[in-house]
Amino acid sequence: MGLDLGRVAEGLYASVMAPLVLGGALRPGHALGARVALALGEGDRSPVDDELVARVQWARVRRGRTLAPIDALAGPTAAEWALAAALNDLLQAANPAFDSPLRRGAAERILESAATTFERVPGIADMRDALSRHTWFARTLDIARTDVAVSWWLGRRTYQGVDAPARLRAWPKLRRVRVEQTARRSLDLAPLAVDRSGYAEAFGRLLARTPLTDLATCTRGAPTFGWSESTLSLVAARAGRVLALRALARLPDARVDAVLGLATRELLAQGRPAIAAPAVSLLEERALARAEGQLVSRPEAPPANPRGVPPVA
Amino acid sequence: MLERIALHQTRLHTPGLGLDSKGVALGAKGMVLLPSIDRLVALLSVYTRERSLEDLIAGLAMHVVRSKLGTREVTFEFVADSSDRMDRIADTARLVGGFTFTGTSRHFVQYRDAAAPFGYDATQLLPTDAAVALYGDRFTQTYDFERTIDLRALLLRLMPRIDPSTKAEPGPRILVAEAGLGPALVHYLIRSRVDGQVCAAEWPPASAFEDAPIRRWMMRIPDLPQRMHSLVHATPGITCFVPVGPAVAVEAGFRHPVELRACPVFDPAGLVLLRGRGDEPWEITRVPPMGELGAFAPVEMRTSEAPTAIAKGLELEDRVRVPLRVVPSSGPWRNVTATWIPAAQIPLLRRLAYSLPQSTLAGARVAVTDHGAFVRCAAGIDAIPLGTFFTEVHRNLYLPAGHDVAPAVTPELLARALGAAEGRVVFVGVDAQGVAVQEGSFMSLESALLQAPPWEPVVAAAIEDALSEAPIDLKVSSIGMRPTRGVRPPPTEA
Repeated sequence: MGLDLGRVAEGLYASVMAPLVLGGALRPGHALGARVALALGEGDRSPVDDELVARVQWARVRRGRTLAPIDALAGPTAAEWALAAALNDLLQAANPAFDSPLRRGAAERILESAATTFERVPGIADMRDALSRHTWFARTLDIARTDVAVSWWLGRRTYQGVDAPARLRAWPKLRRVRVEQTARRSLDLAPLAVDRSGYAEAFGRLLARTPLTDLATCTRGAPTFGWSESTLSLVAARAGRVLALRALARLPDARVDAVLGLATRELLAQGRPAIAAPAVSLLEERALARAEGQLVSRPEAPPANPRGVPPVA
Repeated sequence: MLERIALHQTRLHTPGLGLDSKGVALGAKGMVLLPSIDRLVALLSVYTRERSLEDLIAGLAMHVVRSKLGTREVTFEFVADSSDRMDRIADTARLVGGFTFTGTSRHFVQYRDAAAPFGYDATQLLPTDAAVALYGDRFTQTYDFERTIDLRALLLRLMPRIDPSTKAEPGPRILVAEAGLGPALVHYLIRSRVDGQVCAAEWPPASAFEDAPIRRWMMRIPDLPQRMHSLVHATPGITCFVPVGPAVAVEAGFRHPVELRACPVFDPAGLVLLRGRGDEPWEITRVPPMGELGAFAPVEMRTSEAPTAIAKGLELEDRVRVPLRVVPSSGPWRNVTATWIPAAQIPLLRRLAYSLPQSTLAGARVAVTDHGAFVRCAAGIDAIPLGTFFTEVHRNLYLPAGHDVAPAVTPELLARALGAAEGRVVFVGVDAQGVAVQEGSFMSLESALLQAPPWEPVVAAAIEDALSEAPIDLKVSSIGMRPTRGVRPPPTEA
């Protein structure tokens, strides 16, 4: 292949995977392609920056403990390397530099490669795998680009995802400099060189590979939540259903019920009720839990009336 | 100076020396001369293995004696009742390197041996004022008493030797536990169904700087289970002793050089506990009264104070009973602490809530039922001028204010008859019909009246999450000259 995969993995970890967990500046690098993404996880690959790895693992465990009592998580698996590499390509496809007539084709090709990678990544093997992926990609939809618009007495200029040069912000009072910062979510980026629906669909494929994240962000605007094979297989297992219920408990009840109800109705409309059974069970458990909570808050019923005792009001 | 006594010899020169029925020269006393204290201990050790000192103890005296040359030796003096006793002691003394003499007051001649079966007689007595003059076949020497050795003090000063086999010996044990460990050990023994006796003993303070006595728990266990041996031997703060006499015990793992069972020098009313490692022995002058271990078992009281199995009387016949009536009373109103507000007047109560003082709102409790609202306030209900006022005549039993019951039964009987028990509040109306309200349905009037707007706790959680996590800021980098360089499709699946 002629490419140093170790160096690529180091860069991917430091610029994409670690910021995805810890927050801060996320800098997607050169597009990697499906072949490199799927090859990154071969062998036991571990980043060399132990201090950064420790911080990332600590943050992952902290996030995982909001759903399950775990004390340790393993490093990135092959699937997680591939998903991170594909996410790098996906974000790179949204680079505004591609928004020119001669470069849109390259962006489409990168987006297509990322989507292919998502398709080739295997689904979760067990609940620990689901939780591990969630700790990596839980904040995928929180990625936002800060666009800076600098206006001064002679003109105006916009910088997308980069800091405005200091010379433009110099002498702000004299030159009447005004700086406006606008945060744009990853799904609301503009300009976009690729088809927006295909871009959102690629995010949907990524969420389909980490079903716990898919459920934990079901109240999102786009891509719209819908029951997939991975989310259904997650809630079909008792342990997975518990994880899902805990993740959903952190969201507004009314929104969750509306989204899950709509998705379940679409599933039932397909005429395969057997497939929808796990989704219905999840809704039943939520309804039972809510009813139980209401019963607990009510006063206790009076005991039976003994001999000669006046009736209980 | 010393000559052998011949057969049928009747005349002896040594004063106080006579012949017993066997013809053996014998004085009133016997004396063993030993070169040092350790030889004395060896003599006691060997002798007490087979014999008791009980018959010797009456006339037993031990001294450190000093010769004219200044050498110090030890004498072991006892009553020579018979030649048999003298023979036994002489044999033992020979074993430990001592010399045996017999005499009465001052002059002691060598006791018989194989060379002189009838003993010896001193033909020439030393003109001396010394306390003791000993005449032997090898030497003749006078001694003065330097000091007396007390047998009990000697036994207490001797350090027990290490002997781990005593830990495994069967038999009773005496356990001494420090004050903090005593109760726990007692409860452990009780739980393990181990029989024994226990007492608390006190020792004087260890130093002059302490003013409180040292208190320890002492347990006498007739048969300590084998599985507990390691516990009592290895636990710090618990010392296990093996009784070796009526009033003396030696720490387990050690053995006293002298058989203490043969030394009746310890007061049976007291107890001496000899410890190893050179530690001072623990002496108890008078053993405190000991109680059975079972007396310290934890006691449990029944939670219910109600007596069990109370026989109930037969139901009275209906012809004896009279219906309850509530009649107006001319007496003053007292203890008016409740009101019964009909359902139709509840809107008035809501309107009145805006003008009620804070103390009334906080102190009043309300239960809203199908029969209306019942409001109780221990400080008085007059601040709420609604409904029918009630007087609390008994705990959880209310009668209309200004009314009494007929027949004029006591409030206790009335409460019992109406079933006004814990958790149920009974209101008896003017028509003598009662209504019982569960006490749990009463809630604070202020919380019942206030209709607070709902709020969603998830908002706070979301804010907390947002504040604790740094935002992910997507930075745009250069795409390079060939942005798709290296972007290749995945290998074809087999």
